[in-house]
Amino acid sequence: MANIFPKWFNKAPLNAIIVLFLISGAGTAGVHYFFTPKYTRVGYQPTQPVAYDHSLHVGQLGLDCRYCHTYVDRSEHANVPDSATCMNCHNQVLPDSPKLAPIRDSYQSGNPVPWVRVHKLPDYVYFDHAVHVNRGVSCVECHGQVNEMKVVEHAQSFSMDFCLKCHRNPEEKVRPLDKVYDLDWKAPGHKEQIALGKELVKNWNINPPKSCSRCHR
Amino acid sequence: MNLPNTEPPQKEPVNGSSSGPRYWKSLDEFADNPEFQKWVEQEFPEGASEIEGVNRRHFLKIMAASFAFAGAGMAGCRRPEQHILPFSNQPENMVPGVPVFFTTSMPGARDNIPLVVETHQNRPTKVEGNPGYGPNHGASSLHAQASILDLYDPDRATRSKKGSEDLSPSEVEDLIDSIREKFRHTQGQGLAILADGSTSPTRQRLISALGEKFPRSIWAEYEPALSDNAEVASARLFGKRLRPRYNFKKARRILALDSDFLNNEPGNLQYTRDFADGRRVRETSDTEKMNRLYLVESQYSITGGMADHRLRLSASQVPALTALVVAELLGELGIEASLAALLRRKADGLHVDSAWIKECVADLVHHREESAIIAGGDQPVEVHQLVYFANDLLKARGKTVEYLETAGNKSVGIDELAESIQAGSVETLIILGGNPVYNALGNLDWARLQGSVDEVIRYGYYEDETSALAGVHIAATHYLESWGDGRTGDGTVVPVQPMILPLFEGFQEPALLARLAGMDETDPYALVRETFASISGGNGNSDKLFQRFLSDGILENSRYAPARVSANIGALKKDLAGMDLHTEAFSMENLEVRILPDSKLSDGRYSNNGWLQECPDPMTKIAWDNVLSVSPKLARDLGYEPNTPRSPVARFLKLAEVSAKRINDHEMGRQVAPVGRLTVNGVTIEGPIHVQPGLAEHTVVVSMGSGREKSGRVGDNVGFSVFPITHSNSRGIARGARIELAGTTHLLASTQEHWSMEGRAIVREANAEAFRNDPHFVDKLGVEAHTPSVMGSDRDKSLQWQVTNQPRGGSLYKTPEFGGEQQWGMTIDLNVCTGCSACVVACQSENNIPIVGKDQMTRGREMHWIRLDRYFSSGDSDENKRQIPENPQVSVQPVPCMHCETAPCEQVCPVNATVHDAQGLNVMAYNRCVGTRYCANNCPYKVRRFNFFDWNKREIDHFYEGPLGPASETHAITRMQKNPDVTVRMRGVMEKCTYCQQRIDVAAINAKVAARDSSDVKVKDGVIKTACQQVCPTGAIVFGDVADAETEVSRIKESDLNYAILGYLNTRPRTTYLARLRNPNPKMPDYQDMPLSRMEYEKRYGHGAPHEETGEHGNGGSH
Repeated sequence: MANIFPKWFNKAPLNAIIVLFLISGAGTAGVHYFFTPKYTRVGYQPTQPVAYDHSLHVGQLGLDCRYCHTYVDRSEHANVPDSATCMNCHNQVLPDSPKLAPIRDSYQSGNPVPWVRVHKLPDYVYFDHAVHVNRGVSCVECHGQVNEMKVVEHAQSFSMDFCLKCHRNPEEKVRPLDKVYDLDWKAPGHKEQIALGKELVKNWNINPPKSCSRCHR
Repeated sequence: MNLPNTEPPQKEPVNGSSSGPRYWKSLDEFADNPEFQKWVEQEFPEGASEIEGVNRRHFLKIMAASFAFAGAGMAGCRRPEQHILPFSNQPENMVPGVPVFFTTSMPGARDNIPLVVETHQNRPTKVEGNPGYGPNHGASSLHAQASILDLYDPDRATRSKKGSEDLSPSEVEDLIDSIREKFRHTQGQGLAILADGSTSPTRQRLISALGEKFPRSIWAEYEPALSDNAEVASARLFGKRLRPRYNFKKARRILALDSDFLNNEPGNLQYTRDFADGRRVRETSDTEKMNRLYLVESQYSITGGMADHRLRLSASQVPALTALVVAELLGELGIEASLAALLRRKADGLHVDSAWIKECVADLVHHREESAIIAGGDQPVEVHQLVYFANDLLKARGKTVEYLETAGNKSVGIDELAESIQAGSVETLIILGGNPVYNALGNLDWARLQGSVDEVIRYGYYEDETSALAGVHIAATHYLESWGDGRTGDGTVVPVQPMILPLFEGFQEPALLARLAGMDETDPYALVRETFASISGGNGNSDKLFQRFLSDGILENSRYAPARVSANIGALKKDLAGMDLHTEAFSMENLEVRILPDSKLSDGRYSNNGWLQECPDPMTKIAWDNVLSVSPKLARDLGYEPNTPRSPVARFLKLAEVSAKRINDHEMGRQVAPVGRLTVNGVTIEGPIHVQPGLAEHTVVVSMGSGREKSGRVGDNVGFSVFPITHSNSRGIARGARIELAGTTHLLASTQEHWSMEGRAIVREANAEAFRNDPHFVDKLGVEAHTPSVMGSDRDKSLQWQVTNQPRGGSLYKTPEFGGEQQWGMTIDLNVCTGCSACVVACQSENNIPIVGKDQMTRGREMHWIRLDRYFSSGDSDENKRQIPENPQVSVQPVPCMHCETAPCEQVCPVNATVHDAQGLNVMAYNRCVGTRYCANNCPYKVRRFNFFDWNKREIDHFYEGPLGPASETHAITRMQKNPDVTVRMRGVMEKCTYCQQRIDVAAINAKVAARDSSDVKVKDGVIKTACQQVCPTGAIVFGDVADAETEVSRIKESDLNYAILGYLNTRPRTTYLARLRNPNPKMPDYQDMPLSRMEYEKRYGHGAPHEETGEHGNGGSH
């Protein structure tokens, strides 16, 4: 009677285990790399209906963030400006530019401009802009160097880890209130930032929530 | 010593007595039957945890398929492109993300409730009472809370219709114009309007305009649940139609005659608050000021639950009792002996303990000027006359009661209108609101009458029974979409202003009436402005005044003036001489039927409101149904012994009978009620029988509002209608009824057995006097007397120290670290809580709590985050007797999440989904929850609720179909009501009370935003109000920072009455209760030296039980 199981079969279980191990390892690594916000979000740079250039408006012309994002210090939302805000200047400046046609149309028709959302938190996260900008956290900490962006892109991962890093060590990020909207401001060095931050945290009684309930409710 | 028995009581009898709980929440539980015992062992009723109709193989198949889809859909992991759509031109003062609050008021037939409505981007989401209106203290009612859901009701009338054709708004206007033209020459002869009640001055003005235009038309008003006997009585006695208005704040002795004034009388919110203020006790000295309520009633109302002395008496016999009370009063004062004799003669034959009346009256007289008598609206005119007279004798007028001159109109009743229709003199009938085809008095046969009118035009919010029989239906707007005005119970003028443009093509009532009257101005806003100008004096500043009116939500100093009148005693004597008082007792052959507005559905107007349908009735604890409530005696006379334990032989012999005849019997936790047939004057209605202790023996209590046929998907075919047996002669009280069993059974969704606490010292009570003598009685009750929370040597440290430092008391178990500066806590004052259930619905509205429907509710899957436990106690611990007491006391207790400092739920969660936060809250992270339900298992308070299905995505009848079921139409519109600050939970996660986390967060954020670069980030006391606290009419719930000794909640927790339920489990709950005090009169024949629940407690665990000496409580204290 011939051998039903050839000799190599002795090693089959071991090989199978190794293969399984490799596949699952690759799978885990893949998920770890490709499925995390760092990969899926950072660098997201959709094309907007109007090629609004922050580097021009903020960086060169020096508009304050709050000229357009009016309610950032009063509301949980940092609102996107209405068309009328654009038209305040653009009925004088480049009034006929074809690039601005969607704005003019919207202003006349009353229909909104469909800006594409860049930064999105999940629905179960309740983030509040007002409390951050009023307590010394600058726009730049989450949104990156927007004043230098020609096209807005997703600068940070916005994972829970990202939030908690700062909530656990607020002294690394807080700055004087008059520098919150100054996106170029930096403490002279890391050591100085920590020293300043520690002082502000103490003086302002900053105790960022780290419990689940403060963002998820 | 005998250690307290903390096991379920069937294990080891204590004190030689048999087992059985002392508090009992249902008759079944009282009976302690084995099925119940088995059932309480389980966390949810049987079946609650099992999938029905799906076997395992099928389930696996579906799961496999869905995994396959998940694989194919991996590309869906990419984030979808979303758009932000800002305004083209941003309106001023509208900040996205910040809610705006507007004042308005909820229209009622006799009183509007002043409100403040929260709107998110002009979308109303939550209703609150207007704190600017002093008497209500910012409270609102169950109905006001639920009314916002009606706005988003998918079943509301969306278009005006003629038959099945749609009518455009201009066609409706043409129609009204044509009616006006038609009756122009006949001065309105043949035109009749039937309206529901209203307090609106604008409507008043339009009625006058209509009256001028059409002097021969008929204006009739009908409110099934309200009577105007009080006004009629005042017209007879004082010569003027007046409305009595009580000031219970000043009343230290109150006698209520068949009056549920805490729940049903117009202006009850103020009554409730005033009554509660007269009862609030923090320290022993407060007991001296405590009021005392004597009450006579046939049903068991929530006012009855608050009474210190409660006399069960058929409502029909209350007039005779009133006569005796007045006679006694006259005797006590030594005046009008002949009148007293007449009254006694009239009331001869009434069997009531004369000592009860004598001592009650003596107490009232002793507190002259501080006492009041109030009679229920359904009582006949003579009773109200006598009560006015008696109040004058007590010198109550101007102190505890005043008579207000209301701006009444010259409307006729529905009876007179019916006569005109009968006579054929009505050609065109306009029905404004109401729903007479459903709820007109049974003897009128309204459907036929309405059919006999040539032209019937219906203006209503729903296309209901009345619309079906009307030629034209004109869609009405919701009050949150309308302009209007109204008056509160005391006459203060309040606005009704729209929060949102009408969602559908609806008409506003003022526009309709003004057009009918041919006025030039038909714009509702302009009409309301004009009315306001005339009321407020209308000077040049009117514009500013009106803005102020809208922003305050009330017009100051616009109360009705108290009338200065004197009683015409001669007329009273004459009326009394001709009065016929019912004194004979009722019997099985001649039952009394007490017909009451439903505590939730009222007269049926709210029947399509899922929140209200699902809210259990405060007394019966039944949702989604109405019942024929009968006394235990009546039940026995019907031939049914409720589950009394019988010998096996007797049981065997009775088996056949038992299977067909059950009373409050429960199968797998579901109440199976026998259907009864109630016949009054030849008309029969059928409904499930519910045994309700505390009723007058031969009174059947039925509530209105159910049995709708064209209500909508929620209200259709719920319960049975009681209106067929109503009669013009006896609106709320019918006599000569008979009841028999139909032989069938009906399943009731009852929450009364759910989450039983098995009779430990849960609600702690004492008499006010006992509290004075022993201020620390609460600490001597319950197992905590022996095993207090483990605080070790830190036991005597202050509450503030304890909540921030978390002493472990030598325990090895690690407690959470509370780093937050502020620590939240709550107190609930059981002394003033009436059990009205407004908190249940307020919480539902604030926290996006879904409706689960009757079927799921019978499985114990209701989702309310706060429940009201209602306990009966009889004072009798002789559990062998097994007789259902006829006359128990009731104790209610709201139970939300306790936010235990050492929460048992947290220790068992395998995924850390429920954890503590730095501010001492026990929180749920829904995203972590995998739905093991261990936490609910381990929660001793049973306050956790599980999403067995996607309640928010699926239609009520299609839960079991899961994703295969149809997409929900209902939620497409009801989701507009959802609070955007709270997550809408999905299937498979646990949820529970969060102490209104979103409100805490908003307050904390606002404090920090205001602080900016200062260090003052503390939320001030009183800024955060939880939804239940804000709605509470009695102010029983207080929430705040317990780490600060100066806050109100901390001060209340210092009270001697403060206790924690199940504190011996070392859960250290942040929600604590103030014990309930009763204030009985020692001279009364029904005086008990301790509350009945306490009596049961003492008999079982108290001083009679052998106690060994211990060091801790040397006097052998009790449990």
